[in-house]
Amino acid sequence: MIRYSITTILLLLAAFVVQQFLPAFTGMHHSRILLVQLVFLCCAVTVGQPTMLLLAFIGGFFWDAQCALGPHGGDPSVYTQQVENLRFGYSVLLFGGMGFLMQGIQPLFKQGKWQFSALLSGIAVFLYLAAEYAIISFVRGGFFLNRPTLLQMLFTSLLTMLFSPLLFWLLFRIAGACDHSINPEAGRNRRRRAF
Amino acid sequence: MKPLNLIALLLFLGGAVWALTRSDRAVREIQNAYFSAMTPFLKSGSELETRARAFLQETKHSKELEAELETLRPELGRLRLYENRCRTLEEENAQLRHALDFKKATHFEVVASRVIRRNPSTWWQTVEIDAGSKRGVGTQLAVLSNDGLVGKIDRIDNGGERSSVLLLTDEKCQVSAWVEGSPEVGILSGQRGGFDGDPVLRLRFLSPNAAVRPGQRVFTTGRGGIFQANILLGEILSVEKGALDSEALVRPSVNFADLGAVFVVLSADS
Repeated sequence: MIRYSITTILLLLAAFVVQQFLPAFTGMHHSRILLVQLVFLCCAVTVGQPTMLLLAFIGGFFWDAQCALGPHGGDPSVYTQQVENLRFGYSVLLFGGMGFLMQGIQPLFKQGKWQFSALLSGIAVFLYLAAEYAIISFVRGGFFLNRPTLLQMLFTSLLTMLFSPLLFWLLFRIAGACDHSINPEAGRNRRRRAF
Repeated sequence: MKPLNLIALLLFLGGAVWALTRSDRAVREIQNAYFSAMTPFLKSGSELETRARAFLQETKHSKELEAELETLRPELGRLRLYENRCRTLEEENAQLRHALDFKKATHFEVVASRVIRRNPSTWWQTVEIDAGSKRGVGTQLAVLSNDGLVGKIDRIDNGGERSSVLLLTDEKCQVSAWVEGSPEVGILSGQRGGFDGDPVLRLRFLSPNAAVRPGQRVFTTGRGGIFQANILLGEILSVEKGALDSEALVRPSVNFADLGAVFVVLSADS
Protein backbone atom coordinates (compact mmCIF):
# COMPACT_ATOMS: atom_id res chain seq x y z
CA MET A 1 0.00 0.00 0.00
CA ILE A 2 2.74 2.44 1.01
CA ARG A 3 4.87 1.45 -1.97
CA TYR A 4 1.89 2.05 -4.27
CA SER A 5 1.14 5.44 -2.68
CA ILE A 6 4.76 6.55 -3.06
CA THR A 7 4.72 5.41 -6.70
CA THR A 8 1.61 7.48 -7.41
CA ILE A 9 3.37 10.54 -5.99
CA LEU A 10 6.38 9.86 -8.22
CA LEU A 11 4.07 9.34 -11.18
CA LEU A 12 2.45 12.72 -10.53
CA LEU A 13 5.87 14.40 -10.37
CA ALA A 14 6.88 12.68 -13.62
CA ALA A 15 3.68 14.00 -15.20
CA PHE A 16 4.86 17.55 -14.46
CA VAL A 17 8.01 16.91 -16.50
CA VAL A 18 6.17 15.31 -19.42
CA GLN A 19 3.54 18.05 -19.41
CA GLN A 20 6.24 20.58 -20.36
CA PHE A 21 6.65 18.87 -23.72
CA LEU A 22 3.01 18.34 -24.62
CA PRO A 23 2.08 20.97 -27.19
CA ALA A 24 -1.30 22.60 -27.64
CA PHE A 25 -3.38 21.45 -30.60
CA THR A 26 -3.79 24.67 -32.56
CA GLY A 27 -6.36 23.10 -34.88
CA MET A 28 -8.52 22.18 -31.90
CA HIS A 29 -8.91 25.63 -30.35
CA HIS A 30 -5.51 25.44 -28.61
CA SER A 31 -6.68 22.56 -26.46
CA ARG A 32 -4.10 20.34 -24.80
CA ILE A 33 -3.80 17.14 -22.85
CA LEU A 34 -3.72 18.00 -19.15
CA LEU A 35 -1.54 15.11 -18.10
CA VAL A 36 -0.93 16.33 -14.55
CA GLN A 37 -4.65 16.59 -13.86
CA LEU A 38 -5.29 13.25 -15.54
CA VAL A 39 -2.64 11.41 -13.50
CA PHE A 40 -4.02 12.97 -10.34
CA LEU A 41 -7.63 12.03 -11.18
CA CYS A 42 -6.76 8.45 -12.07
CA CYS A 43 -4.63 8.04 -8.95
CA ALA A 44 -7.30 9.68 -6.77
CA VAL A 45 -9.80 6.93 -7.48
CA THR A 46 -7.31 4.20 -6.61
CA VAL A 47 -6.05 5.46 -3.25
CA GLY A 48 -7.51 6.31 0.14
CA GLN A 49 -8.59 9.80 1.15
CA PRO A 50 -5.37 10.80 2.99
CA THR A 51 -3.19 9.87 -0.01
CA MET A 52 -5.62 11.58 -2.38
CA LEU A 53 -5.37 14.80 -0.34
CA LEU A 54 -1.59 14.58 -0.32
CA LEU A 55 -1.60 14.14 -4.11
CA ALA A 56 -4.04 17.08 -4.44
CA PHE A 57 -1.76 19.29 -2.39
CA ILE A 58 1.35 18.34 -4.36
CA GLY A 59 -0.44 18.64 -7.71
CA GLY A 60 -2.10 21.98 -6.99
CA PHE A 61 0.97 23.46 -5.35
CA PHE A 62 3.34 22.60 -8.20
CA TRP A 63 0.78 23.52 -10.85
CA ASP A 64 0.56 26.99 -9.38
CA ALA A 65 4.36 27.18 -9.06
CA GLN A 66 4.51 26.46 -12.76
CA CYS A 67 1.80 28.85 -13.89
CA ALA A 68 1.65 31.77 -11.43
CA LEU A 69 2.31 35.16 -13.01
CA GLY A 70 4.31 37.94 -11.41
CA PRO A 71 3.03 41.31 -10.23
CA HIS A 72 1.86 43.79 -12.86
CA GLY A 73 4.65 46.32 -12.52
CA GLY A 74 4.66 49.70 -14.23
CA ASP A 75 3.41 53.06 -13.09
CA PRO A 76 0.08 52.70 -11.20
CA SER A 77 -0.93 56.22 -12.27
CA VAL A 78 -0.89 55.04 -15.91
CA TYR A 79 -2.18 51.51 -15.35
CA THR A 80 -5.00 52.50 -13.03
CA GLN A 81 -7.09 49.36 -13.57
CA GLN A 82 -4.58 46.58 -13.13
CA VAL A 83 -5.63 43.03 -13.91
CA GLU A 84 -5.78 40.94 -10.76
CA ASN A 85 -3.74 37.79 -10.32
CA LEU A 86 -5.22 34.59 -9.03
CA ARG A 87 -3.86 33.81 -5.59
CA PHE A 88 -1.11 31.23 -5.45
CA GLY A 89 -2.55 28.02 -4.03
CA TYR A 90 -6.07 28.16 -5.53
CA SER A 91 -5.28 25.04 -7.57
CA VAL A 92 -4.72 23.07 -4.35
CA LEU A 93 -8.40 23.51 -3.54
CA LEU A 94 -9.47 22.75 -7.11
CA PHE A 95 -7.41 19.57 -7.14
CA GLY A 96 -8.93 18.63 -3.78
CA GLY A 97 -12.43 19.16 -5.15
CA MET A 98 -11.71 17.03 -8.21
CA GLY A 99 -10.23 14.33 -5.99
CA PHE A 100 -13.37 14.13 -3.84
CA LEU A 101 -15.45 13.91 -7.02
CA MET A 102 -13.39 10.94 -8.21
CA GLN A 103 -13.59 9.26 -4.82
CA GLY A 104 -17.37 9.45 -5.07
CA ILE A 105 -17.35 6.62 -7.60
CA GLN A 106 -14.58 4.65 -5.92
CA PRO A 107 -17.04 1.82 -4.99
CA LEU A 108 -17.70 1.25 -8.71
CA PHE A 109 -13.98 1.27 -9.45
CA LYS A 110 -13.36 -1.25 -6.69
CA GLN A 111 -15.90 -3.53 -8.37
CA GLY A 112 -13.73 -3.40 -11.48
CA LYS A 113 -15.84 -0.88 -13.41
CA TRP A 114 -12.99 1.45 -14.28
CA GLN A 115 -14.83 2.73 -17.38
CA PHE A 116 -17.02 4.98 -15.21
CA SER A 117 -13.91 6.48 -13.64
CA ALA A 118 -12.43 7.10 -17.10
CA LEU A 119 -15.61 8.90 -18.14
CA LEU A 120 -15.71 10.88 -14.91
CA SER A 121 -12.09 11.96 -15.39
CA GLY A 122 -13.17 13.82 -18.55
CA ILE A 123 -16.09 15.42 -16.72
CA ALA A 124 -13.82 16.36 -13.81
CA VAL A 125 -11.31 18.03 -16.16
CA PHE A 126 -14.13 20.01 -17.76
CA LEU A 127 -15.43 21.08 -14.34
CA TYR A 128 -11.88 21.96 -13.30
CA LEU A 129 -11.42 24.23 -16.35
CA ALA A 130 -14.88 25.74 -15.94
CA ALA A 131 -14.21 26.45 -12.25
CA GLU A 132 -10.84 27.98 -13.10
CA TYR A 133 -12.44 30.20 -15.75
CA ALA A 134 -15.21 31.20 -13.32
CA ILE A 135 -12.64 32.13 -10.66
CA ILE A 136 -10.69 34.23 -13.19
CA SER A 137 -13.92 35.98 -14.21
CA PHE A 138 -14.90 36.56 -10.60
CA VAL A 139 -11.50 37.98 -9.64
CA ARG A 140 -11.08 40.12 -12.76
CA GLY A 141 -14.72 40.98 -13.35
CA GLY A 142 -16.86 40.76 -16.48
CA PHE A 143 -18.07 37.23 -17.14
CA PHE A 144 -18.25 36.33 -20.83
CA LEU A 145 -17.90 32.90 -22.32
CA ASN A 146 -17.38 32.77 -26.05
CA ARG A 147 -17.68 29.73 -28.29
CA PRO A 148 -13.93 29.15 -28.85
CA THR A 149 -13.31 29.15 -25.08
CA LEU A 150 -16.11 26.66 -24.52
CA LEU A 151 -14.80 24.47 -27.33
CA GLN A 152 -11.29 24.71 -25.94
CA MET A 153 -12.50 23.45 -22.57
CA LEU A 154 -14.53 20.70 -24.23
CA PHE A 155 -11.71 19.47 -26.49
CA THR A 156 -9.20 19.63 -23.64
CA SER A 157 -11.48 17.45 -21.50
CA LEU A 158 -12.09 14.99 -24.33
CA LEU A 159 -8.43 14.71 -25.29
CA THR A 160 -7.44 14.23 -21.67
CA MET A 161 -10.17 11.65 -21.13
CA LEU A 162 -9.01 9.61 -24.12
CA PHE A 163 -5.75 8.90 -22.32
CA SER A 164 -7.36 7.76 -19.07
CA PRO A 165 -7.62 4.03 -20.06
CA LEU A 166 -3.87 4.08 -20.67
CA LEU A 167 -3.31 5.62 -17.25
CA PHE A 168 -5.56 3.04 -15.56
CA TRP A 169 -3.69 0.25 -17.32
CA LEU A 170 -0.43 1.71 -16.02
CA LEU A 171 -1.85 2.00 -12.50
CA PHE A 172 -3.00 -1.65 -12.56
CA ARG A 173 0.50 -2.67 -13.62
CA ILE A 174 2.08 -0.56 -10.88
CA ALA A 175 -0.33 -1.95 -8.29
CA GLY A 176 0.54 -5.47 -9.43
CA ALA A 177 4.24 -4.73 -9.14
CA CYS A 178 3.67 -3.34 -5.63
CA ASP A 179 1.61 -6.41 -4.53
CA HIS A 180 -1.36 -4.15 -3.93
CA SER A 181 -4.89 -4.49 -5.25
CA ILE A 182 -6.62 -1.29 -6.31
CA ASN A 183 -9.93 -3.06 -7.08
CA PRO A 184 -10.15 -5.79 -4.42
CA GLU A 185 -13.86 -6.51 -4.89
CA ALA A 186 -13.34 -7.31 -8.56
CA GLY A 187 -10.59 -9.75 -7.57
CA ARG A 188 -12.86 -11.42 -5.00
CA ASN A 189 -15.65 -11.76 -7.59
CA ARG A 190 -13.23 -13.33 -10.07
CA ARG A 191 -12.07 -15.82 -7.46
CA ARG A 192 -15.71 -16.62 -6.52
CA ARG A 193 -16.55 -17.28 -10.16
CA ALA A 194 -13.50 -19.52 -10.50
CA PHE A 195 -14.81 -21.68 -7.66
CA MET B 1 -15.71 10.15 8.97
CA LYS B 2 -12.71 8.09 10.03
CA PRO B 3 -10.32 9.95 12.40
CA LEU B 4 -7.42 9.47 9.97
CA ASN B 5 -9.43 11.00 7.12
CA LEU B 6 -10.44 13.92 9.31
CA ILE B 7 -6.84 14.59 10.31
CA ALA B 8 -5.78 14.39 6.64
CA LEU B 9 -8.54 16.82 5.64
CA LEU B 10 -7.55 19.29 8.35
CA LEU B 11 -3.90 19.05 7.32
CA PHE B 12 -4.88 19.56 3.68
CA LEU B 13 -6.95 22.64 4.50
CA GLY B 14 -4.12 23.99 6.67
CA GLY B 15 -1.69 23.47 3.77
CA ALA B 16 -4.05 25.17 1.33
CA VAL B 17 -4.45 28.19 3.63
CA TRP B 18 -0.66 28.33 4.06
CA ALA B 19 -0.21 28.31 0.24
CA LEU B 20 -2.93 30.92 -0.28
CA THR B 21 -1.32 33.33 2.17
CA ARG B 22 2.17 33.33 0.58
CA SER B 23 3.47 36.76 -0.38
CA ASP B 24 4.54 37.60 -3.97
CA ARG B 25 8.17 37.28 -2.95
CA ALA B 26 7.65 33.89 -1.35
CA VAL B 27 5.78 32.72 -4.47
CA ARG B 28 8.75 33.81 -6.64
CA GLU B 29 11.09 31.83 -4.39
CA ILE B 30 8.87 28.76 -4.67
CA GLN B 31 8.77 29.18 -8.45
CA ASN B 32 12.55 29.55 -8.61
CA ALA B 33 13.00 26.35 -6.63
CA TYR B 34 10.47 24.56 -8.83
CA PHE B 35 12.10 25.62 -12.11
CA SER B 36 15.60 24.92 -10.75
CA ALA B 37 14.50 21.35 -10.11
CA MET B 38 12.88 21.21 -13.53
CA THR B 39 15.79 22.73 -15.51
CA PRO B 40 17.79 19.49 -16.10
CA PHE B 41 14.67 17.81 -17.53
CA LEU B 42 13.80 20.82 -19.66
CA LYS B 43 17.36 21.06 -20.98
CA SER B 44 17.60 17.42 -21.95
CA GLY B 45 14.09 17.55 -23.40
CA SER B 46 14.96 20.59 -25.53
CA GLU B 47 18.15 18.90 -26.74
CA LEU B 48 16.22 15.80 -27.74
CA GLU B 49 13.67 17.94 -29.54
CA THR B 50 16.44 19.80 -31.44
CA ARG B 51 18.09 16.50 -32.44
CA ALA B 52 14.80 15.07 -33.62
CA ARG B 53 14.14 18.15 -35.73
CA ALA B 54 17.62 18.03 -37.23
CA PHE B 55 17.15 14.37 -38.07
CA LEU B 56 13.83 15.05 -39.76
CA GLN B 57 15.34 17.88 -41.77
CA GLU B 58 18.23 15.68 -42.89
CA THR B 59 15.90 12.98 -44.06
CA LYS B 60 13.96 15.41 -46.20
CA HIS B 61 13.90 14.11 -49.72
CA SER B 62 16.68 15.50 -51.91
CA LYS B 63 14.34 16.01 -54.88
CA GLU B 64 12.13 18.13 -52.71
CA LEU B 65 15.15 20.23 -51.83
CA GLU B 66 16.14 20.52 -55.48
CA ALA B 67 12.70 21.74 -56.42
CA GLU B 68 12.85 24.22 -53.58
CA LEU B 69 16.22 25.45 -54.83
CA GLU B 70 14.83 25.98 -58.30
CA THR B 71 11.97 28.04 -56.88
CA LEU B 72 14.28 30.05 -54.70
CA ARG B 73 16.78 31.01 -57.41
CA PRO B 74 14.56 33.60 -59.12
CA GLU B 75 13.46 34.78 -55.67
CA LEU B 76 17.12 35.36 -54.79
CA GLY B 77 17.60 37.51 -57.87
CA ARG B 78 14.54 39.54 -56.99
CA LEU B 79 15.71 40.02 -53.40
CA ARG B 80 19.13 41.15 -54.61
CA LEU B 81 17.44 43.89 -56.58
CA TYR B 82 15.47 44.86 -53.48
CA GLU B 83 18.65 44.88 -51.42
CA ASN B 84 20.30 47.32 -53.80
CA ARG B 85 17.24 49.54 -53.65
CA CYS B 86 17.26 49.38 -49.82
CA ARG B 87 20.92 50.32 -49.68
CA THR B 88 20.23 53.41 -51.78
CA LEU B 89 17.33 54.31 -49.49
CA GLU B 90 19.48 53.74 -46.41
CA GLU B 91 22.14 56.12 -47.70
CA GLU B 92 19.51 58.67 -48.54
CA ASN B 93 18.01 58.27 -45.07
CA ALA B 94 21.40 58.77 -43.41
CA GLN B 95 21.97 61.94 -45.42
CA LEU B 96 18.55 63.30 -44.46
CA ARG B 97 19.14 62.51 -40.77
CA HIS B 98 22.41 64.34 -40.95
CA ALA B 99 20.73 67.26 -42.64
CA LEU B 100 18.11 67.43 -39.90
CA ASP B 101 20.91 67.42 -37.34
CA PHE B 102 19.63 64.51 -35.32
CA LYS B 103 21.70 64.28 -32.19
CA LYS B 104 21.48 60.52 -32.26
CA ALA B 105 19.41 57.98 -34.05
CA THR B 106 16.81 56.36 -31.80
CA HIS B 107 17.93 52.87 -30.93
CA PHE B 108 17.48 50.07 -28.43
CA GLU B 109 20.12 47.98 -26.74
CA VAL B 110 18.75 44.49 -27.14
CA VAL B 111 19.55 40.87 -26.39
CA ALA B 112 18.58 38.44 -29.13
CA SER B 113 17.02 35.18 -27.98
CA ARG B 114 15.01 32.24 -29.20
CA VAL B 115 11.59 31.08 -28.08
CA ILE B 116 12.13 27.63 -26.60
CA ARG B 117 8.59 26.59 -25.82
CA ARG B 118 5.12 27.75 -24.91
CA ASN B 119 4.26 27.22 -21.26
CA PRO B 120 1.69 24.47 -20.73
CA SER B 121 -1.16 26.39 -19.18
CA THR B 122 -4.67 26.84 -20.50
CA TRP B 123 -5.44 30.41 -19.55
CA TRP B 124 -2.09 32.22 -19.35
CA GLN B 125 -0.21 33.28 -22.47
CA THR B 126 3.47 32.87 -21.74
CA VAL B 127 6.51 31.57 -23.61
CA GLU B 128 9.98 30.68 -22.46
CA ILE B 129 13.08 32.21 -24.07
CA ASP B 130 16.74 31.18 -23.86
CA ALA B 131 18.04 34.43 -22.34
CA GLY B 132 18.19 35.17 -18.63
CA SER B 133 20.00 37.22 -16.05
CA LYS B 134 23.40 36.00 -17.31
CA ARG B 135 22.80 38.11 -20.41
CA GLY B 136 21.47 41.08 -18.50
CA VAL B 137 17.77 40.25 -18.79
CA GLY B 138 15.58 41.30 -15.86
CA THR B 139 11.86 41.29 -15.12
CA GLN B 140 9.50 43.89 -16.60
CA LEU B 141 11.61 44.43 -19.72
CA ALA B 142 9.96 44.79 -23.11
CA VAL B 143 10.32 41.96 -25.63
CA LEU B 144 10.13 42.72 -29.35
CA SER B 145 10.18 40.88 -32.63
CA ASN B 146 10.82 42.29 -36.07
CA ASP B 147 7.12 43.03 -36.39
CA GLY B 148 6.47 44.81 -33.11
CA LEU B 149 5.88 44.29 -29.41
CA VAL B 150 5.72 40.68 -28.20
CA GLY B 151 5.30 41.19 -24.46
CA LYS B 152 7.34 41.64 -21.32
CA ILE B 153 9.60 39.55 -19.13
CA ASP B 154 7.61 38.04 -16.28
CA ARG B 155 10.06 35.72 -14.56
CA ILE B 156 13.76 34.88 -14.70
CA ASP B 157 15.00 31.38 -13.96
CA ASN B 158 17.44 30.88 -11.11
CA GLY B 159 20.11 29.52 -13.44
CA GLY B 160 20.07 32.82 -15.34
CA GLU B 161 19.75 31.14 -18.73
CA ARG B 162 16.02 31.32 -19.34
CA SER B 163 13.13 33.63 -18.74
CA SER B 164 9.41 33.64 -19.15
CA VAL B 165 7.67 36.20 -21.36
CA LEU B 166 4.10 37.32 -20.74
CA LEU B 167 2.65 37.78 -24.22
CA LEU B 168 0.75 40.83 -25.36
CA THR B 169 -2.23 38.56 -26.04
CA ASP B 170 -2.62 37.87 -22.31
CA GLU B 171 -5.26 39.86 -20.49
CA LYS B 172 -2.72 40.74 -17.81
CA CYS B 173 -0.24 42.37 -20.20
CA GLN B 174 -1.34 46.01 -20.36
CA VAL B 175 0.34 48.60 -22.56
CA SER B 176 -0.20 52.35 -22.73
CA ALA B 177 -0.90 52.99 -26.43
CA TRP B 178 -1.65 55.82 -28.89
CA VAL B 179 -3.36 55.75 -32.24
CA GLU B 180 -1.45 57.02 -35.24
CA GLY B 181 -2.80 60.27 -36.66
CA SER B 182 -5.02 61.04 -33.68
CA PRO B 183 -4.64 62.35 -30.14
CA GLU B 184 -6.25 59.18 -28.76
CA VAL B 185 -4.44 57.35 -25.96
CA GLY B 186 -5.66 54.19 -24.24
CA ILE B 187 -4.65 50.96 -22.57
CA LEU B 188 -4.12 47.95 -24.81
CA SER B 189 -4.38 44.39 -23.51
CA GLY B 190 -5.21 40.87 -24.61
CA GLN B 191 -8.64 39.36 -24.25
CA ARG B 192 -9.74 36.58 -21.96
CA GLY B 193 -10.11 33.47 -24.07
CA GLY B 194 -9.19 35.44 -27.17
CA PHE B 195 -6.17 33.49 -28.32
CA ASP B 196 -7.88 31.16 -30.72
CA GLY B 197 -6.99 31.60 -34.40
CA ASP B 198 -6.04 35.23 -34.87
CA PRO B 199 -5.90 36.89 -31.48
CA VAL B 200 -7.45 40.31 -31.16
CA LEU B 201 -6.43 42.91 -28.59
CA ARG B 202 -8.62 45.47 -26.79
CA LEU B 203 -7.75 49.15 -26.74
CA ARG B 204 -9.76 50.66 -23.89
CA PHE B 205 -10.33 54.07 -22.32
CA LEU B 206 -10.41 56.04 -25.59
CA SER B 207 -12.48 59.24 -25.52
CA PRO B 208 -16.27 58.80 -26.15
CA ASN B 209 -16.06 60.36 -29.61
CA ALA B 210 -12.70 58.91 -30.53
CA ALA B 211 -11.80 59.85 -34.09
CA VAL B 212 -10.21 56.55 -34.93
CA ARG B 213 -10.98 54.30 -37.86
CA PRO B 214 -10.07 50.78 -38.97
CA GLY B 215 -6.62 50.52 -40.49
CA GLN B 216 -4.93 53.07 -38.24
CA ARG B 217 -1.80 51.78 -36.56
CA VAL B 218 -1.34 51.64 -32.79
CA PHE B 219 1.98 52.34 -31.04
CA THR B 220 3.28 52.40 -27.46
CA THR B 221 3.25 55.80 -25.76
CA GLY B 222 6.32 55.10 -23.63
CA ARG B 223 4.37 55.98 -20.47
CA GLY B 224 4.04 53.55 -17.60
CA GLY B 225 7.68 52.69 -17.10
CA ILE B 226 7.84 49.33 -18.90
CA PHE B 227 7.61 49.79 -22.66
CA GLN B 228 9.60 52.26 -24.73
CA ALA B 229 7.76 54.74 -26.96
CA ASN B 230 6.72 54.18 -30.57
CA ILE B 231 6.86 50.39 -30.73
CA LEU B 232 4.30 49.06 -33.18
CA LEU B 233 1.47 47.14 -31.51
CA GLY B 234 -1.03 46.54 -34.25
CA GLU B 235 -3.77 47.91 -36.44
CA ILE B 236 -7.31 48.97 -35.55
CA LEU B 237 -9.96 46.52 -36.69
CA SER B 238 -13.12 48.15 -35.36
CA VAL B 239 -14.28 50.80 -32.93
CA GLU B 240 -17.13 50.58 -30.44
CA LYS B 241 -18.26 53.89 -29.04
CA GLY B 242 -19.75 54.12 -25.56
CA ALA B 243 -21.31 56.83 -23.41
CA LEU B 244 -18.27 57.26 -21.17
CA ASP B 245 -15.46 55.91 -23.30
CA SER B 246 -14.75 54.04 -26.51
CA GLU B 247 -13.08 50.75 -27.18
CA ALA B 248 -11.27 49.50 -30.25
CA LEU B 249 -10.33 46.02 -31.33
CA VAL B 250 -6.75 45.79 -32.55
CA ARG B 251 -5.10 43.11 -34.65
CA PRO B 252 -1.55 42.59 -33.29
CA SER B 253 1.33 43.22 -35.68
CA VAL B 254 3.16 40.14 -34.39
CA ASN B 255 2.19 36.63 -35.46
CA PHE B 256 2.05 34.95 -32.04
CA ALA B 257 1.52 31.52 -33.55
CA ASP B 258 4.95 31.64 -35.15
CA LEU B 259 7.34 33.22 -32.69
CA GLY B 260 10.97 32.44 -33.37
CA ALA B 261 13.62 35.03 -32.63
CA VAL B 262 12.76 37.79 -30.17
CA PHE B 263 14.71 40.68 -28.67
CA VAL B 264 14.72 41.78 -25.05
CA VAL B 265 15.16 45.55 -24.74
CA LEU B 266 17.76 46.22 -22.05
CA SER B 267 17.80 49.98 -22.45
CA ALA B 268 16.70 52.55 -24.95
CA ASP B 269 17.93 55.95 -25.97
CA SER B 270 15.42 58.25 -27.48
